[in-house]
Amino acid sequence: MSPLATHRLDPQPGELLDRSRPLSFTFEGNPYTGFAGDSIASALAAAGVRVFSRSFKYHRPRGILTASHLDPGCTVQVGDEPNVRAAARGLAEGMAVHAQNAWPSLRLDVRAANGVVGRFLTAGFYYKTFMAPQRLWPAYERVLGTFAPGGRMSGAVDTLAEYDQRYAHPDVVVAGGGPAGMGAALAAAQAGAEVMLVEQEHELGGHLRWGGPAELVLLQDLRAAVAAAPGIEVLLDSVVVGRFDGNWLSIVQRDLPHVEERLIKARAAALVVAPGLVERPYVFAGNDLPGVMLGTAVRRLINLYAVRPGTQAVVLTANPEGDAGVADLQRAGVEVAAVLDARRGEDLRRALGRGGVTGVETADGRRVACDTVVTSIGWTAPTSLLNMAGDRPWYDPSAARFRPSDDLPEGVLAAGGISGDGTVEELVEHGRSVGAAAAAGHGAAGRPAALPVRAHPERFRASTHGIVDYSEDVSSKDIIAAAAEGYDSSELVKRYTTATMGPSQGKLETVNTVAVLAEATGRPIADLGTTVWRPPYAPISLGALAGRVHEPVRHSPMQPWHEAHGAAQLIAGAWIRPDHYGDPQAEARGVREAVGIIDVTPLGKLDLRGPDVPKLLNLVYVNKWSKLAEGSVRYGVMCAEDGVVMDDGVTGRLGSERYLMSTTSSGAATVWEHLENWLQTEHPDWQVHVTPLTTYYASINVAGPRSRELLARVTEGIDLSPEAFPYMRVRTGRIAGVDECLMWRIGFTGELSYELHVPASYGLQAWEALLSVGADLGCAAFGVEAQRILRLEKGHLIVGQDTDGLTRAYDAALGPMVKLDKDDFVGRPELFWQEQLGEQTRLVALQPVDGTIVPAEASQIVRRNAIVGRITSSRMSPTLGRSVCLGYVEVGLAEPGTVVTVLLPDGRRIAAAVQPQLAHVDPEGERLRA
Amino acid sequence: MARYSALSLLRRGLTGQDWPPAWRLHDLARAYDVVIIGAGVHGLATAYYLAARHAITNIAVLDKAYLGGGGSGRNTAIIRSNYLTPEGVRFYDRSVKLYENLAAELNFNVMFSQRGHLTLAHNDGSLRTMRWRAEVNKLEGVDSEMIGPAQIQQLVPFMDVSPDARYPILGALYHRPGGTIRHDAVNWGYARAADALGVQIHQNTEVTGVFVDGGAVRGVQTSRGAVSAPVVVNCTAGWSSLVSALAGVRLPVSTHALQAAVTEPVKMFLRTVVVSGTLHVYVSQTDRGELVFGASTDPFPSYSMRGSLEFTEELAGHVLALMPSIAKLRLLRQWAGLCDMTPDFSPIMGITPVEGFLLDVGWGTYGFKAGPVAGESMAELIATGKTPEIMAAFDLARFAEGRLVGEKGAAAVGH
Amino acid sequence: MFQIPCPHCGLRNVAEFRHAGERRPRPDPRTATPEQWRSYLYTYDNHADWTRETWYHRLGCRRYIGVERHTVTNEIRPVS
Repeated sequence: MSPLATHRLDPQPGELLDRSRPLSFTFEGNPYTGFAGDSIASALAAAGVRVFSRSFKYHRPRGILTASHLDPGCTVQVGDEPNVRAAARGLAEGMAVHAQNAWPSLRLDVRAANGVVGRFLTAGFYYKTFMAPQRLWPAYERVLGTFAPGGRMSGAVDTLAEYDQRYAHPDVVVAGGGPAGMGAALAAAQAGAEVMLVEQEHELGGHLRWGGPAELVLLQDLRAAVAAAPGIEVLLDSVVVGRFDGNWLSIVQRDLPHVEERLIKARAAALVVAPGLVERPYVFAGNDLPGVMLGTAVRRLINLYAVRPGTQAVVLTANPEGDAGVADLQRAGVEVAAVLDARRGEDLRRALGRGGVTGVETADGRRVACDTVVTSIGWTAPTSLLNMAGDRPWYDPSAARFRPSDDLPEGVLAAGGISGDGTVEELVEHGRSVGAAAAAGHGAAGRPAALPVRAHPERFRASTHGIVDYSEDVSSKDIIAAAAEGYDSSELVKRYTTATMGPSQGKLETVNTVAVLAEATGRPIADLGTTVWRPPYAPISLGALAGRVHEPVRHSPMQPWHEAHGAAQLIAGAWIRPDHYGDPQAEARGVREAVGIIDVTPLGKLDLRGPDVPKLLNLVYVNKWSKLAEGSVRYGVMCAEDGVVMDDGVTGRLGSERYLMSTTSSGAATVWEHLENWLQTEHPDWQVHVTPLTTYYASINVAGPRSRELLARVTEGIDLSPEAFPYMRVRTGRIAGVDECLMWRIGFTGELSYELHVPASYGLQAWEALLSVGADLGCAAFGVEAQRILRLEKGHLIVGQDTDGLTRAYDAALGPMVKLDKDDFVGRPELFWQEQLGEQTRLVALQPVDGTIVPAEASQIVRRNAIVGRITSSRMSPTLGRSVCLGYVEVGLAEPGTVVTVLLPDGRRIAAAVQPQLAHVDPEGERLRA
Repeated sequence: MARYSALSLLRRGLTGQDWPPAWRLHDLARAYDVVIIGAGVHGLATAYYLAARHAITNIAVLDKAYLGGGGSGRNTAIIRSNYLTPEGVRFYDRSVKLYENLAAELNFNVMFSQRGHLTLAHNDGSLRTMRWRAEVNKLEGVDSEMIGPAQIQQLVPFMDVSPDARYPILGALYHRPGGTIRHDAVNWGYARAADALGVQIHQNTEVTGVFVDGGAVRGVQTSRGAVSAPVVVNCTAGWSSLVSALAGVRLPVSTHALQAAVTEPVKMFLRTVVVSGTLHVYVSQTDRGELVFGASTDPFPSYSMRGSLEFTEELAGHVLALMPSIAKLRLLRQWAGLCDMTPDFSPIMGITPVEGFLLDVGWGTYGFKAGPVAGESMAELIATGKTPEIMAAFDLARFAEGRLVGEKGAAAVGH
Repeated sequence: MFQIPCPHCGLRNVAEFRHAGERRPRPDPRTATPEQWRSYLYTYDNHADWTRETWYHRLGCRRYIGVERHTVTNEIRPVS
């Protein structure tokens, strides 16, 4: 049986409830019912529930304080979702709601004992103890860690929860859908602007919703006008959470039918900040007892949710809104036992009770019995978005709050309560004038004047001490003590006490914190200022920020074949490539013995045209390019200006002013930008046009002693004989029926080999044709792993693996490539000096003396325990039947035959001999010239 | 200095007696033996070690704002020593050792939590770099090893280690002594201990000029008046180029914003620090239950600390790639700090062409880790006039002489 | 996210561009001393002020453009 809704009132004129739709849910395992339109908290409050959670440090019982998004005591776990704001989240059928921070149960919380020892757990107490011995700190820490507030993550992936993102380019975004915000949206739309009106709650209206009959009429009129106005997009349950450079706004949208949360990224010409005011709690002893509420909380509960907040109330009021709260209480049948008027100097001293309010003690010593204490003692202007735009709010003592400056950044305006005070009509009117200005794109000069600000009693703390930050359990005493210890600025006191660092991020607590600090230090609030408000204005899920994941991957046109033939995937940046098809050693042997083909499509390919291409090549490569004949290709090495090896590849001359440059797969984009940089910034007079062709061609390397034989079967119009098509030449012709294919005779694997570049749409056809006509020759596909084995046998370095961020050309044994007699090339000065001074380390080929051991790549080469080199590449060589390596050694150890010590990751030390050349196999290069 | 202990907490709790200030206010004197610019962990540690180890106490530590308010209070407080180069490993290992004893030495609980540190490898290139680091670390006596996906899963049950992930986790460098610390506590602990030894800390005192005469530093102009000193140490981060320029020293430094963020608190589920260089993200969970995230520096130089939306979007995407089950967790706050990046991802420490004007700058994204050892080494340099071996590799002259430090070989994000 | 006015494409989000560094002249590689060359390689003005920079419109026209940016506010003004 659900408890009866003992605190539910008869229908209220502005209530949100749909009483025809009862909803069942559980709280702490007990069944409850509420109505559609209830928040979780209102449904519980209607059933008389007063305790919703336990506090972070002292585990004190906590109830409703603000009845809004910010309510620090109403954070609950719903199913596997932690930290749900129970006072804002709409009730749904079947919700399983649990209190957080209570152990073993909300009613009996053993950690509440912390409250008893509270005087020892002053702010920062943990800095003063648990120091020694250090080895015990992990044990202390585990205990402290169990006090961490917040809900519980289940670890299960919610596959149904989708998130998405949207881009928008509205003229005007209005943050806040109260009277001023609606006014602003209407006026801006009237002026022809496209407007986004963003409201955090489930409906427009702001505080009009809990006003009297006149406010409700105005509310209906405004809502109708907004609904009728063309050009206003209303976003409910949505918050402008961030304002970044260039009025780039992040808006989080919730309560959508199909997605969990959506992030809207809006580039707005103007942002109108109209959040109204946040009611500020009052600091006094017992101010966190369940039953102590803000005036706005009471008005929300009564008017929006038809919940009677209590039976007997004492009200402390300093403003007309507080007075209206008294009227609401009386109308709801709550006995108002006393009204203390701060404007007449009346005050509370403390709230009495344990586990809930039983009465108050007033400043003049009276005791009044009650179960509800209501305070309406002042306001905080939520200037967060203005702050993000660069505005620093200033403190106005006559209004007892911080206010936006008059000189707001361009494109940012403030409307309504944040700007000043007025009747609801005045707020709407102010909103209208600001909205019109926003639509007109006026600068600061054309802005409407801020609203006047009415005097308000400046009251922050009673004569007693109470909680300043409810989420963090920080009291005014803590802040005064921290100031006395030297933590006497807004920033230091925040960091030391953690005040304002909790889930509401200071929206309730900042001003009280600064006010108590001002009291403690004797400095005016205006001098202390607040800490900087940071984005987001309201918490936003990681899911919404991430949106749908758009991480493109790149495949070659031959991917279907690879997949059908069991290729193991290798992720290489954006590319997915076949690493091997089951047995890389066999694939490598196949190349050495017969013929194999590999998909090398990711190789970077740049088409270079124009009369000045040789100049460009001479500039970006360390070697010479002036005399490259048509039909020839050459290997080149690029260094950066600091002489560090940047990329390598072959470039061929296809015509008199036409070249094709190949780059490493990972360097394709970088090299393109590098060429453009030199052409555009240093040599704009050179006539060279660069076009990236990486994915225009599908690229296939055909390698092995029988590759010529294979190609002869599919090639038309190219004489493949060694005399007609020798090593390092390029030809154009028809391959496998495809016209305009390029064929280079080069040899990364050390075998006779040809690299084919086939227009991409015919790549798969060419690939399959080669395999099918070459079946009898033993033609098989090989993957990247076999290629790595083969190139290592041949001693070819891989930039980025056999070089690092500081490897210069001479270190990498590329000295013979470097032509210092060229006047200029990128990196020349550094290489010139390196050549003069000599390199410190050098790339060499190494073979472990015990050829069965393959030292892991990155194994260090040591002399005793000093590092004198490292292995950069290592594999078992199928050709030699032994392990082979490339690595760096100090120059003194680079002599062929030197035996060095390699320290394996498992701690073993093995001997390895430096080889005479980098190539382990066919150092003379007879095979590739065959 | 009033001693902190469980007993003194109890006594003051019972008697209601207040704690004395952790540091005192002073008038700015006309002359000091040493002026340190920047009251972050580096400046405060330098002052503390000068006083504690070398009996030099006539020191002013100047800060244009509040102490510990720059990078020292904005970093993600990760401590580790698993660097790539032997000189880097030795240096940061000394820092870890100092951190291990810091709470006891300073009588201030800095909450150094050696919960273990994982650097994930998502491709064979980073696997190789991680192994390289592990091998160098082991040779330098630092606990660091490669582990596989199964062991990663044990350490971080929320991690998606499935092989078909877009960024599959192939392995990780596991560094047991790595962990997190309360950065503010370190700053305050040094400040309090230095103050007790006679060091003067001047907050809200901005240096607006550096006096140089005859090739030697003579003092500084501040917003509160001129101060003379034969030794002036630039311990700033984010403003090191600007402060050095006051002395006519140009630096190989480019200042970039580094952004960070925290989530709402949830119960502890992540005990280890997790870093992915490929995904440009690092994450740990505090004792308060918040996840703390960082990323790589912004891709252009800037002194703006306003932060960006792109940072949180990319961050969230990458965090969810690692831990897909935390999509409902909400980001609570983002902020930015300034990092002075050098060309070789290593700091600049020691002498400059201006005699007496010393540098402890260019700390990139790893300044906090080095606070104690940097302070200790700079103090030794100031007291003895000799550059300690442990910091010798980080001299300013290396750039003009082309002797860059090899940390450039490691991944760009290495928290 | 601030925006950069590309002379070829108009006002675009900074995310489309890559920062390509402060604008500084390349010393003559034949005559530069090591100090001069390494100053060019490594040393920056790093002003907290208006700075002349090169940006590359990576996701646009792929042109390198000159930009004046204020490094504190990220305001952009035409290159004077």
